[in-house]
Amino acid sequence: MNEYVVTVNSTKKNIKCSGNGIIELGDTTYEVELSKVNKHSYLLKIGNKIYNIVTNKANSENYSMSLDGRYYELTVRTLLREKATEYLKNQAKLSHHSEVKAPMPGLVLSVKKNVGDRVEFGESLFILEAMKMENDIRSNSSGVIEEILVDEGKSVEKGETIIVIK
Amino acid sequence: MFKKILIVNRGEIAVRIIKACREMGITSAAIYSDADKNSLHVRAADEAYHIGAAPANQSYLNIDNIIAKALEIGADAIHPGYGFLSENSVFIKKVKEAGFVFIGPSSRSVEMMGEKTAARKIMKKNNVPIVPGTTEPINDIDEAIKIAKGIGFPVMLKAAAGGGGKGMRKVDSEDKFREALERAQNESQKAFGNSDVYIEKFIENPKHIEVQIIADMHGNYAHLFERECSVQRRHQKVVEEAPSLFVDDETRSKITIAAIDAAKACNYFNAGTVEFLMDKDKNFYFLEMNTRLQVEHPVTEMITGIDLVKEQIRIANGEKLSFSQDEIKINGSAIECRIYAEDINNNFAPSTGKIIHHRLPSGPGIRVDRGIDLMTDVPVYYDPMLAKVITWGKDRDEAIARMERALGEYQVAGVITNISGFKWILNRQSFRDGTFDINFIENEFMPLVPYEWEKEISKEYEDVVSIFAALLKDKESKLKTVSIDNKSNNHWNNQRYE
Repeated sequence: MNEYVVTVNSTKKNIKCSGNGIIELGDTTYEVELSKVNKHSYLLKIGNKIYNIVTNKANSENYSMSLDGRYYELTVRTLLREKATEYLKNQAKLSHHSEVKAPMPGLVLSVKKNVGDRVEFGESLFILEAMKMENDIRSNSSGVIEEILVDEGKSVEKGETIIVIK
Repeated sequence: MFKKILIVNRGEIAVRIIKACREMGITSAAIYSDADKNSLHVRAADEAYHIGAAPANQSYLNIDNIIAKALEIGADAIHPGYGFLSENSVFIKKVKEAGFVFIGPSSRSVEMMGEKTAARKIMKKNNVPIVPGTTEPINDIDEAIKIAKGIGFPVMLKAAAGGGGKGMRKVDSEDKFREALERAQNESQKAFGNSDVYIEKFIENPKHIEVQIIADMHGNYAHLFERECSVQRRHQKVVEEAPSLFVDDETRSKITIAAIDAAKACNYFNAGTVEFLMDKDKNFYFLEMNTRLQVEHPVTEMITGIDLVKEQIRIANGEKLSFSQDEIKINGSAIECRIYAEDINNNFAPSTGKIIHHRLPSGPGIRVDRGIDLMTDVPVYYDPMLAKVITWGKDRDEAIARMERALGEYQVAGVITNISGFKWILNRQSFRDGTFDINFIENEFMPLVPYEWEKEISKEYEDVVSIFAALLKDKESKLKTVSIDNKSNNHWNNQRYE
């Protein structure tokens, strides 16, 4: 019996897999059957209900999925791993520190703030040009700018840290 | 008829034109950039020619290379699709000078309508109602602020050379005017090579209603009714439909006459679209004329039975319209959803990558016009639209039900798409009852971004996908214990050094 914690839309679900097609979710037991169509497409039977699920694995614990026109991003961890992650998260909270990242690949047209400036949540920080549109990137937290890692006129990749706020 | 058409575009519209060519027995020649070697339009065409590096200005916008290619391969006509060079009058002139037929209007018509302030003047003269504002570009900021105050804030700043929402800004108050103008001018310069911007009165909560028109070179004009495209985000259309639930017979008759008047005012031939804003009282104002095939042309094709691309090709070949106005009736209802590679929850960031899984929807009333297929790339260089799902029904409800089914069946993996967003849109009360306007996305959807909107539609399957995730993870942990392949014939495998 393996126990997993799945996080979807910020709710956590504990799921027990017994390995013989029996699943426990909360107080309910389900009979399940999983068939693989190809690497990204699966057929899941829960009881006699049929679900066609498309999935893509981002890394060892994050999956994206779509089902009947809906899209989901899920995190799945073993119960032990989940507890360890929670612990680390709580430690991190003690030192407040946030990074503003490029939400898409593009060109940094202008940076509107300087190191040491105080910024509020939602305040405009820099302009990122991507696919011919100028995108106003705003602060995800309030605080003081500790570091600006990219110069104006530079190309950045998606997820690259641009500004660090403390 | 033409023997070979060079298609100066990429993505779904290039594929759409290739299909029309094939039905007409015309050889289709595609062009592709370094980033598009592997694209569907290359796979679909009869012939494909490399045209340059990935950035559009070195490939799909490189006029001299394109003309040289057309000469080299013996094409006799050029179809521009939409975007890129489709509304570039210099290109049209060069195409003609080089001895090719341009499948579209004359360069003169494009010039007249392309410069938005000049177009406004022409419409005013021909009694087509326009939105109050300037008919000259802004060249003095203080004067412009004075005019804006005269009209009353909020006002719209629009690129004179514009389209597609680029170089367009709403300005709520005087103090925001300067920055907005700068941004609009910058964007306009980048997108169109022209920084002229003009001012229009901001119409409160209008609908976007446009009329498809088509004309031959013998003076025959026809309209193919209206489309409603009010579901937009930052002036980019997301959902389009025909006919509009909001337009009654009387309004339809008025607006289609105005559209034909607009087309006549610029001696238009070939397919074109006249866009209007319509207020709550069904007053309409000329917005702009798109002198090309429109992204959303399929909804019109679905309700009229006319193949607009084939009609375009015949018109360019000098033929008369294949139908008369009286023969065209609205049959049923059609909807189009534009599938973009974008991450709604991440500020709609474009998503790039490779399509690693692709399964199309099928069945009654469904059409997919697409630029993607299994193992094609979604490059960062171009528009993030992947495909258009179009459904037809005997009435709007059936078209919507079919759309929900189609989107449920459509499987795309490898990039993040906006498919799930439509589930929300199509079930929204104001969309269902037709009262939505062009601020629908901004006012009703955006407050729920990120993530909140998803909760409204995704609760139903949360348990299912969670069970699935746990099963996948569980399988994985078991696979790891049996990683040594004992049956292998590869003897090197047996000599393991640890």
